Amino acid sequence: MKTMLYKEFKLSMHPTSIIFLSLSAMMLIPNYPYYMTFFYTTLAIFFTCLSGRENHDIFYTMTLPIRKRDIVKSRFLLVTILELAQVITAIPFAIIRGTFNLPGNYVGMDANVAFFGLSFLMLGLFNLVFFTKYYKDTDKVGTSFLLGTIVITLFMIIAEASVHAVPFVKNYLDTKDPEFLTYKLVVLTAGIALYIVLTLFSYQRSVRSFEALDL
Amino acid sequence: MIDLSVRGLYKKYQNFELNNVSFDLEHGTITGFIGRNGAGKTTTLKSLLNLVHPNSGEILFFGKSFKENEFEIKQKIGFVAGGIDYYPKKKIKTITETTRRFYKNWDDKAYNHYMDLFNLDENKSPDELSAGMKVKYSLVLALSHNAELLILDEPTSGLDPVSRDDLLDVFMGLSEEGITILFSTHITSDLDKCADNIIYIKNGGVLASTDLNSFLRKYKVLDLTDNQLTDELKSKLVGYKKNKHGYSALIKASDSENINLKISDTDLESIMVHLEKESS
Repeated sequence: MKTMLYKEFKLSMHPTSIIFLSLSAMMLIPNYPYYMTFFYTTLAIFFTCLSGRENHDIFYTMTLPIRKRDIVKSRFLLVTILELAQVITAIPFAIIRGTFNLPGNYVGMDANVAFFGLSFLMLGLFNLVFFTKYYKDTDKVGTSFLLGTIVITLFMIIAEASVHAVPFVKNYLDTKDPEFLTYKLVVLTAGIALYIVLTLFSYQRSVRSFEALDL
Repeated sequence: MIDLSVRGLYKKYQNFELNNVSFDLEHGTITGFIGRNGAGKTTTLKSLLNLVHPNSGEILFFGKSFKENEFEIKQKIGFVAGGIDYYPKKKIKTITETTRRFYKNWDDKAYNHYMDLFNLDENKSPDELSAGMKVKYSLVLALSHNAELLILDEPTSGLDPVSRDDLLDVFMGLSEEGITILFSTHITSDLDKCADNIIYIKNGGVLASTDLNSFLRKYKVLDLTDNQLTDELKSKLVGYKKNKHGYSALIKASDSENINLKISDTDLESIMVHLEKESS
Protein backbone atom coordinates (compact mmCIF):
# COMPACT_ATOMS: atom_id res chain seq x y z
CA MET A 1 0.00 0.00 0.00
CA LYS A 2 2.97 2.28 0.59
CA THR A 3 3.88 1.87 -3.06
CA MET A 4 0.34 2.58 -4.15
CA LEU A 5 0.30 5.76 -2.06
CA TYR A 6 3.59 6.79 -3.64
CA LYS A 7 1.95 6.32 -7.02
CA GLU A 8 -1.09 8.33 -5.92
CA PHE A 9 1.05 11.27 -4.86
CA LYS A 10 3.60 11.08 -7.65
CA LEU A 11 1.39 10.37 -10.64
CA SER A 12 -2.29 10.69 -9.80
CA MET A 13 -2.71 13.64 -7.47
CA HIS A 14 -3.64 16.84 -9.23
CA PRO A 15 -1.29 19.73 -8.26
CA THR A 16 -4.24 21.91 -7.20
CA SER A 17 -4.65 19.55 -4.24
CA ILE A 18 -1.57 21.12 -2.69
CA ILE A 19 -2.32 24.65 -3.87
CA PHE A 20 -5.83 24.51 -2.40
CA LEU A 21 -4.35 23.75 1.02
CA SER A 22 -3.25 27.38 1.09
CA LEU A 23 -6.93 28.31 0.92
CA SER A 24 -7.14 27.32 4.56
CA ALA A 25 -6.03 30.93 5.05
CA MET A 26 -9.57 31.94 4.12
CA MET A 27 -10.35 31.43 7.80
CA LEU A 28 -8.87 34.92 8.18
CA ILE A 29 -11.54 36.57 6.03
CA PRO A 30 -13.67 38.55 8.51
CA ASN A 31 -17.07 37.51 7.17
CA TYR A 32 -17.30 34.42 5.02
CA PRO A 33 -18.99 31.03 4.80
CA TYR A 34 -15.91 29.15 5.98
CA TYR A 35 -17.26 25.80 4.77
CA MET A 36 -16.19 26.97 1.31
CA THR A 37 -12.59 26.16 2.25
CA PHE A 38 -13.51 22.49 2.33
CA PHE A 39 -15.45 22.75 -0.88
CA TYR A 40 -12.09 23.48 -2.50
CA THR A 41 -10.76 20.23 -1.06
CA THR A 42 -13.54 18.35 -2.79
CA LEU A 43 -12.76 20.27 -5.98
CA ALA A 44 -9.16 19.02 -5.79
CA ILE A 45 -10.46 15.47 -5.37
CA PHE A 46 -12.62 15.97 -8.45
CA PHE A 47 -9.63 17.26 -10.45
CA THR A 48 -7.57 14.26 -9.38
CA CYS A 49 -10.22 11.77 -10.49
CA LEU A 50 -10.83 13.71 -13.70
CA SER A 51 -7.18 13.86 -14.68
CA GLY A 52 -6.97 10.18 -13.76
CA ARG A 53 -9.59 9.47 -16.37
CA GLU A 54 -7.79 11.53 -19.02
CA ASN A 55 -4.45 9.89 -18.17
CA HIS A 56 -5.86 6.34 -18.13
CA ASP A 57 -4.74 6.02 -14.55
CA ILE A 58 -6.91 3.02 -13.76
CA PHE A 59 -5.74 1.10 -16.79
CA TYR A 60 -2.11 1.78 -15.94
CA THR A 61 -2.65 0.75 -12.35
CA MET A 62 -4.50 -2.42 -13.31
CA THR A 63 -1.45 -3.69 -15.20
CA LEU A 64 0.65 -3.37 -12.04
CA PRO A 65 0.90 -6.22 -9.57
CA ILE A 66 -1.88 -5.08 -7.27
CA ARG A 67 -5.37 -6.26 -6.46
CA LYS A 68 -8.21 -4.34 -8.03
CA ARG A 69 -9.55 -3.30 -4.62
CA ASP A 70 -6.18 -1.68 -3.82
CA ILE A 71 -7.01 1.00 -6.37
CA VAL A 72 -10.01 2.05 -4.30
CA LYS A 73 -8.12 1.76 -1.03
CA SER A 74 -5.22 3.94 -2.13
CA ARG A 75 -7.56 6.58 -3.55
CA PHE A 76 -9.49 6.71 -0.26
CA LEU A 77 -6.22 7.03 1.62
CA LEU A 78 -5.08 9.89 -0.59
CA VAL A 79 -8.41 11.64 -0.18
CA THR A 80 -8.51 11.28 3.61
CA ILE A 81 -4.95 12.56 3.82
CA LEU A 82 -5.89 15.61 1.73
CA GLU A 83 -9.02 16.27 3.77
CA LEU A 84 -7.17 15.96 7.06
CA ALA A 85 -4.38 18.18 5.75
CA GLN A 86 -6.95 20.84 4.87
CA VAL A 87 -8.42 20.69 8.38
CA ILE A 88 -5.01 20.73 10.04
CA THR A 89 -3.79 23.69 7.98
CA ALA A 90 -7.03 25.55 8.71
CA ILE A 91 -6.74 25.21 12.48
CA PRO A 92 -3.84 27.70 12.97
CA PHE A 93 -5.68 30.32 10.91
CA ALA A 94 -8.81 29.79 12.96
CA ILE A 95 -6.74 30.21 16.12
CA ILE A 96 -5.10 33.37 14.78
CA ARG A 97 -8.51 34.76 14.00
CA GLY A 98 -9.80 33.82 17.43
CA THR A 99 -6.94 35.55 19.24
CA PHE A 100 -7.87 38.96 17.85
CA ASN A 101 -10.74 40.78 19.33
CA LEU A 102 -12.79 40.82 16.15
CA PRO A 103 -16.56 40.72 15.90
CA GLY A 104 -18.00 37.30 15.02
CA ASN A 105 -18.67 36.12 11.50
CA TYR A 106 -21.83 37.85 10.26
CA VAL A 107 -22.34 35.46 7.34
CA GLY A 108 -22.55 32.26 9.25
CA MET A 109 -20.70 30.02 11.62
CA ASP A 110 -17.57 31.24 13.42
CA ALA A 111 -14.40 29.27 12.71
CA ASN A 112 -14.54 27.48 16.07
CA VAL A 113 -14.37 23.96 17.44
CA ALA A 114 -17.97 23.15 16.48
CA PHE A 115 -17.36 24.44 12.97
CA PHE A 116 -14.61 21.86 12.46
CA GLY A 117 -16.93 19.10 13.66
CA LEU A 118 -19.56 20.16 11.14
CA SER A 119 -16.90 20.41 8.43
CA PHE A 120 -15.90 16.80 9.10
CA LEU A 121 -19.52 15.82 8.66
CA MET A 122 -19.68 17.73 5.38
CA LEU A 123 -16.56 16.00 4.04
CA GLY A 124 -17.94 12.63 5.12
CA LEU A 125 -21.16 13.34 3.19
CA PHE A 126 -19.12 14.26 0.13
CA ASN A 127 -17.07 11.06 0.36
CA LEU A 128 -20.24 9.05 0.63
CA VAL A 129 -22.07 10.59 -2.33
CA PHE A 130 -19.14 11.20 -4.67
CA PHE A 131 -17.29 7.91 -4.37
CA THR A 132 -20.25 5.53 -4.29
CA LYS A 133 -21.35 7.07 -7.60
CA TYR A 134 -17.84 7.38 -9.07
CA TYR A 135 -16.86 3.75 -8.54
CA LYS A 136 -20.00 2.53 -10.29
CA ASP A 137 -18.61 4.04 -13.47
CA THR A 138 -15.22 5.70 -13.23
CA ASP A 139 -15.81 7.56 -16.51
CA LYS A 140 -18.64 9.55 -14.95
CA VAL A 141 -16.50 11.85 -12.81
CA GLY A 142 -18.59 14.93 -13.63
CA THR A 143 -21.94 13.43 -12.66
CA SER A 144 -20.48 12.10 -9.43
CA PHE A 145 -19.06 15.51 -8.55
CA LEU A 146 -22.32 17.23 -9.40
CA LEU A 147 -24.17 14.97 -6.97
CA GLY A 148 -21.49 15.47 -4.32
CA THR A 149 -21.66 19.23 -4.78
CA ILE A 150 -25.45 19.33 -4.53
CA VAL A 151 -25.32 17.48 -1.24
CA ILE A 152 -22.64 19.64 0.35
CA THR A 153 -24.30 22.83 -0.95
CA LEU A 154 -27.50 21.79 0.79
CA PHE A 155 -25.48 21.01 3.88
CA MET A 156 -23.86 24.45 3.82
CA ILE A 157 -27.19 26.22 3.33
CA ILE A 158 -28.78 24.35 6.23
CA ALA A 159 -25.73 24.76 8.48
CA GLU A 160 -25.33 28.47 7.82
CA ALA A 161 -29.07 29.17 7.97
CA SER A 162 -29.35 27.41 11.32
CA VAL A 163 -26.81 29.86 12.72
CA HIS A 164 -29.44 32.56 12.18
CA ALA A 165 -32.58 30.53 12.70
CA VAL A 166 -31.91 27.91 15.37
CA PRO A 167 -31.45 29.47 18.82
CA PHE A 168 -29.24 26.66 20.17
CA VAL A 169 -26.81 26.94 17.26
CA LYS A 170 -26.90 30.71 17.44
CA ASN A 171 -26.42 31.05 21.18
CA TYR A 172 -24.15 28.14 21.99
CA LEU A 173 -22.33 26.86 18.91
CA ASP A 174 -21.77 30.08 16.97
CA THR A 175 -19.74 31.67 19.72
CA LYS A 176 -16.11 32.39 20.28
CA ASP A 177 -13.94 29.66 21.73
CA PRO A 178 -13.66 28.69 24.52
CA GLU A 179 -17.26 29.70 25.37
CA PHE A 180 -19.58 26.67 25.69
CA LEU A 181 -16.65 24.43 24.85
CA THR A 182 -18.39 21.28 26.10
CA TYR A 183 -21.20 21.62 23.55
CA LYS A 184 -18.70 22.33 20.82
CA LEU A 185 -16.51 19.39 21.74
CA VAL A 186 -19.54 17.14 21.51
CA VAL A 187 -20.23 18.47 18.01
CA LEU A 188 -16.57 17.99 17.06
CA THR A 189 -16.49 14.42 18.34
CA ALA A 190 -19.78 13.57 16.66
CA GLY A 191 -18.53 15.17 13.42
CA ILE A 192 -15.33 13.14 13.43
CA ALA A 193 -17.21 9.94 14.27
CA LEU A 194 -19.70 10.51 11.46
CA TYR A 195 -16.87 11.34 9.06
CA ILE A 196 -15.23 8.00 9.84
CA VAL A 197 -18.46 6.04 9.56
CA LEU A 198 -19.57 7.69 6.30
CA THR A 199 -16.13 7.34 4.70
CA LEU A 200 -15.76 3.69 5.71
CA PHE A 201 -19.24 2.88 4.49
CA SER A 202 -18.50 4.66 1.20
CA TYR A 203 -15.21 2.74 0.89
CA GLN A 204 -16.90 -0.61 1.32
CA ARG A 205 -19.60 0.14 -1.21
CA SER A 206 -17.03 1.56 -3.65
CA VAL A 207 -14.91 -1.59 -3.47
CA ARG A 208 -17.96 -3.69 -4.22
CA SER A 209 -19.05 -1.68 -7.25
CA PHE A 210 -15.52 -1.27 -8.58
CA GLU A 211 -14.84 -5.02 -8.35
CA ALA A 212 -17.91 -5.62 -10.50
CA LEU A 213 -17.04 -2.93 -13.04
CA ASP A 214 -15.83 -3.93 -16.52
CA LEU A 215 -13.02 -1.62 -17.55
CA MET B 1 4.98 -26.59 -19.71
CA ILE B 2 1.79 -24.59 -20.15
CA ASP B 3 2.15 -20.95 -19.09
CA LEU B 4 -1.41 -19.94 -19.75
CA SER B 5 -4.46 -22.08 -20.09
CA VAL B 6 -7.87 -20.68 -20.95
CA ARG B 7 -10.96 -22.87 -20.87
CA GLY B 8 -14.48 -22.03 -21.95
CA LEU B 9 -14.22 -18.28 -21.58
CA TYR B 10 -17.67 -16.78 -22.00
CA LYS B 11 -18.62 -13.14 -21.81
CA LYS B 12 -21.93 -11.70 -22.85
CA TYR B 13 -22.43 -8.12 -23.97
CA GLN B 14 -25.58 -6.63 -25.37
CA ASN B 15 -24.47 -6.92 -29.00
CA PHE B 16 -21.54 -9.24 -28.76
CA GLU B 17 -20.64 -12.50 -27.19
CA LEU B 18 -17.29 -14.08 -26.49
CA ASN B 19 -18.14 -17.72 -26.77
CA ASN B 20 -16.27 -20.68 -25.37
CA VAL B 21 -12.77 -19.34 -25.98
CA SER B 22 -10.16 -21.95 -25.07
CA PHE B 23 -6.45 -22.13 -25.75
CA ASP B 24 -3.10 -23.00 -24.21
CA LEU B 25 0.25 -21.21 -24.42
CA GLU B 26 3.33 -23.42 -24.34
CA HIS B 27 6.32 -22.05 -22.48
CA GLY B 28 8.73 -20.12 -24.73
CA THR B 29 6.47 -19.90 -27.76
CA ILE B 30 5.17 -16.96 -29.73
CA THR B 31 1.46 -17.09 -30.33
CA GLY B 32 -0.33 -14.71 -32.63
CA PHE B 33 -3.87 -13.84 -31.79
CA ILE B 34 -5.61 -12.81 -34.97
CA GLY B 35 -9.02 -11.73 -36.02
CA ARG B 36 -10.76 -8.75 -37.56
CA ASN B 37 -11.41 -5.55 -35.70
CA GLY B 38 -14.17 -6.31 -33.24
CA ALA B 39 -13.70 -10.08 -33.33
CA GLY B 40 -13.09 -10.18 -29.57
CA LYS B 41 -9.31 -10.01 -29.30
CA THR B 42 -9.10 -7.16 -26.83
CA THR B 43 -12.05 -8.45 -24.80
CA THR B 44 -10.30 -11.80 -24.47
CA LEU B 45 -7.03 -10.22 -23.41
CA LYS B 46 -8.79 -7.94 -20.95
CA SER B 47 -10.64 -10.92 -19.48
CA LEU B 48 -7.32 -12.61 -18.83
CA LEU B 49 -6.36 -9.80 -16.46
CA ASN B 50 -9.75 -9.39 -14.87
CA LEU B 51 -10.23 -5.99 -16.50
CA VAL B 52 -13.52 -7.34 -17.74
CA HIS B 53 -15.34 -10.11 -15.91
CA PRO B 54 -16.15 -13.20 -17.93
CA ASN B 55 -19.53 -14.77 -17.16
CA SER B 56 -17.83 -18.14 -17.01
CA GLY B 57 -14.61 -19.90 -17.86
CA GLU B 58 -11.34 -20.81 -16.24
CA ILE B 59 -8.04 -18.93 -16.59
CA LEU B 60 -4.87 -20.48 -15.23
CA PHE B 61 -1.53 -18.68 -15.32
CA PHE B 62 1.39 -21.00 -14.58
CA GLY B 63 -1.17 -23.51 -13.35
CA LYS B 64 -2.71 -21.09 -10.86
CA SER B 65 -6.04 -19.35 -10.89
CA PHE B 66 -5.72 -15.65 -11.64
CA LYS B 67 -8.39 -14.53 -9.21
CA GLU B 68 -6.77 -16.11 -6.17
CA ASN B 69 -3.19 -15.26 -7.17
CA GLU B 70 -3.62 -11.93 -8.93
CA PHE B 71 -0.75 -10.28 -7.09
CA GLU B 72 1.75 -13.08 -7.61
CA ILE B 73 0.82 -13.70 -11.24
CA LYS B 74 1.04 -10.05 -12.20
CA GLN B 75 4.64 -10.03 -10.96
CA LYS B 76 5.43 -12.60 -13.63
CA ILE B 77 3.59 -11.19 -16.60
CA GLY B 78 3.85 -8.08 -18.69
CA PHE B 79 0.68 -6.63 -20.18
CA VAL B 80 1.11 -4.14 -22.98
CA ALA B 81 -1.86 -2.57 -24.70
CA GLY B 82 -0.57 -0.96 -27.85
CA GLY B 83 1.92 1.68 -26.85
CA ILE B 84 1.53 3.37 -23.51
CA ASP B 85 -1.32 5.77 -23.49
CA TYR B 86 -1.21 6.57 -19.79
CA TYR B 87 0.31 9.67 -18.26
CA PRO B 88 1.38 11.05 -21.65
CA LYS B 89 2.67 14.32 -20.16
CA LYS B 90 4.79 12.86 -17.38
CA LYS B 91 8.44 12.17 -17.92
CA ILE B 92 9.34 8.57 -18.63
CA LYS B 93 11.73 8.82 -15.71
CA THR B 94 8.83 9.50 -13.37
CA ILE B 95 6.71 6.69 -14.77
CA THR B 96 9.60 4.25 -14.42
CA GLU B 97 10.43 5.44 -10.93
CA THR B 98 6.85 4.70 -9.89
CA THR B 99 6.42 1.45 -11.78
CA ARG B 100 9.64 -0.17 -10.58
CA ARG B 101 8.57 0.02 -6.95
CA PHE B 102 5.76 -2.43 -7.59
CA TYR B 103 7.97 -5.30 -8.71
CA LYS B 104 9.96 -7.61 -6.49
CA ASN B 105 12.15 -8.67 -9.39
CA TRP B 106 12.81 -5.29 -10.90
CA ASP B 107 16.16 -5.36 -12.65
CA ASP B 108 17.81 -1.96 -13.19
CA LYS B 109 20.49 -3.52 -15.34
CA ALA B 110 17.94 -4.99 -17.71
CA TYR B 111 16.07 -1.68 -17.70
CA ASN B 112 19.14 0.31 -18.72
CA HIS B 113 20.10 -2.34 -21.24
CA TYR B 114 16.75 -2.20 -23.04
CA MET B 115 16.51 1.59 -22.81
CA ASP B 116 19.86 1.78 -24.58
CA LEU B 117 18.98 -0.94 -27.04
CA PHE B 118 15.81 0.86 -28.07
CA ASN B 119 17.41 4.32 -27.95
CA LEU B 120 14.87 5.64 -25.47
CA ASP B 121 15.45 8.90 -23.64
CA GLU B 122 14.20 8.94 -20.03
CA ASN B 123 13.72 12.68 -20.07
CA LYS B 124 11.05 12.58 -22.73
CA SER B 125 7.36 12.14 -22.07
CA PRO B 126 5.30 9.48 -23.86
CA ASP B 127 3.70 12.24 -25.93
CA GLU B 128 7.09 13.01 -27.41
CA LEU B 129 7.64 9.43 -28.54
CA SER B 130 6.65 7.91 -31.86
CA ALA B 131 4.16 5.04 -31.87
CA GLY B 132 7.00 2.55 -32.21
CA MET B 133 8.96 4.07 -29.35
CA LYS B 134 5.89 3.91 -27.11
CA VAL B 135 5.53 0.20 -27.72
CA LYS B 136 9.22 -0.24 -27.06
CA TYR B 137 9.01 1.66 -23.79
CA SER B 138 6.14 -0.48 -22.58
CA LEU B 139 8.15 -3.53 -23.56
CA VAL B 140 11.08 -2.21 -21.56
CA LEU B 141 8.84 -1.92 -18.50
CA ALA B 142 7.63 -5.50 -19.00
CA LEU B 143 11.12 -6.87 -19.58
CA SER B 144 12.70 -5.07 -16.65
CA HIS B 145 10.65 -7.00 -14.12
CA ASN B 146 11.67 -10.28 -15.72
CA ALA B 147 8.23 -11.10 -17.02
CA GLU B 148 7.96 -14.70 -18.11
CA LEU B 149 4.85 -14.15 -20.14
CA LEU B 150 4.14 -11.12 -22.27
CA ILE B 151 0.60 -10.32 -23.33
CA LEU B 152 0.54 -7.65 -25.96
CA ASP B 153 -2.52 -6.10 -27.51
CA GLU B 154 -1.75 -4.99 -31.05
CA PRO B 155 1.84 -3.98 -30.42
CA THR B 156 2.62 -3.62 -34.09
CA SER B 157 -0.31 -1.57 -35.31
CA GLY B 158 0.72 1.94 -36.15
CA LEU B 159 4.35 1.00 -36.73
CA ASP B 160 6.15 1.43 -40.03
CA PRO B 161 7.39 -1.78 -41.71
CA VAL B 162 10.97 -1.35 -40.50
CA SER B 163 10.03 -0.72 -36.86
CA ARG B 164 7.63 -3.63 -37.06
CA ASP B 165 10.38 -5.86 -38.30
CA ASP B 166 12.66 -4.64 -35.50
CA LEU B 167 10.03 -5.43 -32.95
CA LEU B 168 9.43 -8.90 -34.33
CA ASP B 169 13.16 -9.53 -34.11
CA VAL B 170 12.97 -8.54 -30.45
CA PHE B 171 10.10 -10.98 -29.94
CA MET B 172 12.06 -13.80 -31.52
CA GLY B 173 15.07 -13.03 -29.36
CA LEU B 174 12.91 -13.06 -26.24
CA SER B 175 11.28 -16.32 -27.19
CA GLU B 176 14.72 -17.89 -27.53
CA GLU B 177 15.38 -16.79 -23.96
CA GLY B 178 12.32 -18.74 -22.88
CA ILE B 179 9.81 -15.92 -22.66
CA THR B 180 6.29 -16.76 -23.75
CA ILE B 181 4.57 -14.19 -25.94
CA LEU B 182 0.93 -13.78 -26.84
CA PHE B 183 0.22 -10.89 -29.13
CA SER B 184 -2.87 -9.85 -30.95
CA THR B 185 -2.68 -8.31 -34.36
CA HIS B 186 -4.57 -8.00 -37.57
CA ILE B 187 -1.36 -7.64 -39.56
CA THR B 188 -0.99 -11.21 -40.71
CA SER B 189 2.50 -10.85 -42.13
CA ASP B 190 3.78 -10.30 -38.56
CA LEU B 191 2.74 -13.83 -37.79
CA ASP B 192 4.09 -15.34 -41.01
CA LYS B 193 7.40 -14.06 -39.82
CA CYS B 194 7.61 -14.98 -36.18
CA ALA B 195 4.68 -16.93 -34.75
CA ASP B 196 4.90 -20.56 -33.66
CA ASN B 197 1.19 -20.83 -33.07
CA ILE B 198 -1.90 -18.92 -33.93
CA ILE B 199 -5.24 -18.43 -32.32
CA TYR B 200 -7.76 -17.26 -34.85
CA ILE B 201 -10.86 -15.65 -33.44
CA LYS B 202 -13.94 -14.79 -35.42
CA ASN B 203 -17.18 -13.25 -34.12
CA GLY B 204 -16.21 -14.08 -30.55
CA GLY B 205 -15.40 -17.75 -31.18
CA VAL B 206 -12.09 -19.50 -31.73
CA LEU B 207 -11.91 -20.72 -35.30
CA ALA B 208 -8.47 -22.27 -35.00
CA SER B 209 -5.89 -22.70 -32.28
CA THR B 210 -2.98 -24.57 -33.71
CA ASP B 211 0.60 -24.29 -34.87
CA LEU B 212 1.01 -21.92 -37.75
CA ASN B 213 2.45 -24.34 -40.30
CA SER B 214 -0.21 -26.97 -39.98
CA PHE B 215 -2.83 -24.23 -40.22
CA LEU B 216 -1.25 -22.98 -43.44
CA ARG B 217 -0.98 -26.51 -44.85
CA LYS B 218 -4.72 -26.98 -44.48
CA TYR B 219 -5.43 -24.60 -47.34
CA LYS B 220 -4.28 -23.96 -50.91
CA VAL B 221 -4.75 -21.03 -53.23
CA LEU B 222 -6.05 -21.36 -56.80
CA ASP B 223 -5.60 -18.79 -59.52
CA LEU B 224 -8.50 -19.12 -61.92
CA THR B 225 -9.66 -17.58 -65.13
CA ASP B 226 -13.36 -16.90 -65.70
CA ASN B 227 -13.78 -20.18 -67.60
CA GLN B 228 -12.09 -22.28 -64.98
CA LEU B 229 -14.46 -21.22 -62.25
CA THR B 230 -17.12 -23.82 -62.87
CA ASP B 231 -20.10 -24.50 -60.63
CA GLU B 232 -18.63 -27.85 -59.72
CA LEU B 233 -15.42 -26.23 -58.57
CA LYS B 234 -17.30 -23.51 -56.72
CA SER B 235 -18.89 -26.09 -54.48
CA LYS B 236 -15.46 -27.24 -53.33
CA LEU B 237 -14.05 -23.79 -52.65
CA VAL B 238 -13.92 -22.13 -49.27
CA GLY B 239 -14.29 -18.84 -51.09
CA TYR B 240 -13.31 -16.98 -54.19
CA LYS B 241 -13.00 -13.40 -55.19
CA LYS B 242 -12.37 -11.46 -58.30
CA ASN B 243 -9.00 -10.01 -59.03
CA LYS B 244 -7.35 -8.33 -62.00
CA HIS B 245 -6.58 -11.54 -63.85
CA GLY B 246 -9.65 -13.61 -63.08
CA TYR B 247 -10.31 -15.12 -59.68
CA SER B 248 -8.31 -16.11 -56.69
CA ALA B 249 -9.84 -18.87 -54.64
CA LEU B 250 -9.15 -20.68 -51.41
CA ILE B 251 -9.64 -24.41 -51.17
CA LYS B 252 -9.08 -26.91 -48.40
CA ALA B 253 -5.90 -28.88 -49.10
CA SER B 254 -7.86 -32.12 -48.82
CA ASP B 255 -10.24 -31.01 -51.60
CA SER B 256 -7.49 -29.89 -53.92
CA GLU B 257 -5.90 -33.23 -54.76
CA ASN B 258 -7.66 -34.06 -58.02
CA ILE B 259 -7.75 -30.58 -59.41
CA ASN B 260 -5.61 -29.87 -62.42
CA LEU B 261 -5.18 -26.18 -62.01
CA LYS B 262 -2.47 -23.85 -60.82
CA ILE B 263 -2.32 -24.50 -57.10
CA SER B 264 -0.02 -22.71 -54.72
CA ASP B 265 0.68 -22.53 -51.03
CA THR B 266 -1.18 -19.90 -49.12
CA ASP B 267 -0.39 -17.34 -46.49
CA LEU B 268 -2.40 -16.20 -43.50
CA GLU B 269 -3.71 -13.13 -45.23
CA SER B 270 -5.38 -15.10 -48.04
CA ILE B 271 -6.91 -17.52 -45.56
CA MET B 272 -8.18 -14.74 -43.37
CA VAL B 273 -9.65 -12.72 -46.22
CA HIS B 274 -11.45 -15.70 -47.70
CA LEU B 275 -12.69 -17.04 -44.40
CA GLU B 276 -14.00 -13.67 -43.33
CA LYS B 277 -15.60 -12.86 -46.69
CA GLU B 278 -17.24 -16.24 -47.00
CA SER B 279 -19.48 -15.48 -44.10
CA SER B 280 -20.44 -12.00 -45.21
